[in-house]
Amino acid sequence: MSYRVPEKFPTTVVGSYPKLPPAKEALRRRKKGEISEEEFESLVREAIKGVVQDQLEAGVDIISDGEQSREDMVVYFSEIMEGYRPGEWVKIFDNVYFRKPIIEGPVKWPGPMTLRDWRIATEYSEGRPVKGILTGPYTMLEWSFDLYYKDRYEAIMELAKVLRKEIEALVNAGAKYIQVDEPALSTRPFPEEAEMLGEALKLMLNGIEAKKIVHICFGRVEKLLPYILDYPVDQFDLEFKNSDFRLLPYLKEYGYNKELGYGVIDVHSHQVETVEEILEAIDKLMRLGILPPEKIYIDPDCGLKRLPREIARAKLKNMVEAAKIAREKW
Amino acid sequence: MRIWGMVLGGYPRSREARHLLRDVERGLVPPTEASIRLQRVHSEIMGVQKAAGLPVIVDGMVDWHDIFRPFARSWRNVSVNGLLRYFDNNFFYRIPVFVGEPDTIEPVLAPRVRDFIELAHPSALKVVVPGPVTFARLSKNSSGLSREELAVKIASILRQEVSKAVEAGAGFVQVDEPFLADIDATRDDAVLAVELFNKIIKGYEEKASMAVYFNAPSTDVYEAILNVDSKYLSVDVYDTRTRALDLLSVKGFGGHVPVLGVIDGRRIHDDDVDRIIDDVRRLVDESTEELVLTTTTWMDLIPFRYSLRKTILLSRLVEKFAEETDSEAYTIWR
Ligand SMILES: [Zn+2]
Repeated sequence: MSYRVPEKFPTTVVGSYPKLPPAKEALRRRKKGEISEEEFESLVREAIKGVVQDQLEAGVDIISDGEQSREDMVVYFSEIMEGYRPGEWVKIFDNVYFRKPIIEGPVKWPGPMTLRDWRIATEYSEGRPVKGILTGPYTMLEWSFDLYYKDRYEAIMELAKVLRKEIEALVNAGAKYIQVDEPALSTRPFPEEAEMLGEALKLMLNGIEAKKIVHICFGRVEKLLPYILDYPVDQFDLEFKNSDFRLLPYLKEYGYNKELGYGVIDVHSHQVETVEEILEAIDKLMRLGILPPEKIYIDPDCGLKRLPREIARAKLKNMVEAAKIAREKW
Repeated sequence: MRIWGMVLGGYPRSREARHLLRDVERGLVPPTEASIRLQRVHSEIMGVQKAAGLPVIVDGMVDWHDIFRPFARSWRNVSVNGLLRYFDNNFFYRIPVFVGEPDTIEPVLAPRVRDFIELAHPSALKVVVPGPVTFARLSKNSSGLSREELAVKIASILRQEVSKAVEAGAGFVQVDEPFLADIDATRDDAVLAVELFNKIIKGYEEKASMAVYFNAPSTDVYEAILNVDSKYLSVDVYDTRTRALDLLSVKGFGGHVPVLGVIDGRRIHDDDVDRIIDDVRRLVDESTEELVLTTTTWMDLIPFRYSLRKTILLSRLVEKFAEETDSEAYTIWR
């Protein structure tokens, strides 16, 4: 089964989706050590099937597995990757703590980390492409403790080598879209930090035959933008809606000409954006005259995991509807 | 040269402290028992600092969820709502929301100082407040005041906080302005922060410092910061080591006693004491009469046991530095 992604304004998602009940159950039981790998997989399969169905019903062109197995974008990989040990308790807000993972030896690729879920999603996607999505090396390091590597540069490069193997596994299995998530980068928008990630991305992505995407969100991306434009990627996927499209003029200012994953859905708000509202957002970008519709991917600002499922679904539906109208208009 | 060490700010919660606070929240521990048990948690942390020979110590601020919370909760016309990332940390603070001109209901610091002053002895007890510019900048301002007016108002409340704390026996006052190291900070922000800081610590200049951390400030901003009236000035040297060393070796400390953040308060590896000594020696010379070594930031975002280890490393660093430079290591304040 093959599916033709529309040439103009293809729609997509950033990755995470609300955890469906079977995924919640799987994660809860795994924490207690009360579940076999087979049972875990079968529950996750059920959840991914539901997530894929939601995206198909909404009409999203390039979908995801909804990250149903991942409780946290860093902890998930740290639990599988060699070189990490489970962390110790660190404050995340108020009296809420999480176990911040610790790198205690050389990081190594343990075999595919995301491939199983990607394959499951692909089985149900009726030919629609499923994004391969991983947490990038910069964010992996910044949101972990490191007791092994002598410096951050070395640690990030080693993480990048591990992630490259994962990307190769995904691409060999047929993934056409690879997305590297780097939310931590926008918290430190300094040239030397951006440059370090740029080097890591070369290690990860050079020669990879797939659409290469980096997702960054919720920070001062405008400060970062001038330093990342030469990254070896096809597309940046960025948050716009939540920061009221503040970033738009900077795209023009810096002569942005890569593909753009254009975040038009606020993942922090339960208010469902109307079709008109999303269309207006698309028009806003088009009126800048910097990118043709073929280079614009319409998607939410970030993962949808914090929203109730009904709202996530409604938001995606309106997003797809707006993209359809925009295709006629532009 | 006199040299001494102090921890910059709060400590993380031990497992016991976490569980205690959770039980308090659930109403499972009566207030008197809670305060006795919290006192014990804090006294342990003070004990570690005293044992490490630090002449100025903090109580650990273990019960503070974030630097703004205790103030936001005890001031009129301020509430907290929503979460925002705290600078570049994977940690989120509750956003203070100002709905009118703020005012104190009761002081936050003075009662703590009264609780802890004896336990701190013979070390001096430091109080730490969030700087007014950082406070106003990281808050939601629905007060009707401009952001600058709000900062001025916050500063006047902090002035009362600080003077009551000093009356109660606080031996050192630190005002934290991490926002000044942020890339969005401007020279105007720094000028305002310095002006308000000078008012907050007026009369206590000899035992006060402004602390700027999480990054090295821009040259512009740093030049303005050098106008603080306090004897001490605290800078995070090791977050962005190269930039900070460049900045400090060119601009110096403007006659202030440098308080150098060199023990990494956000990471858990053992700090390389020899490298730190080499770096610090590049920043000081024979004319430096006094030098303070500290943690780069608060230590509340690392696991508890590492904060204890870092306290000891700080003490070892001070000793070794004193040895190698033939300086005098101070373990008693004044
Ligand atoms: Zn995101």
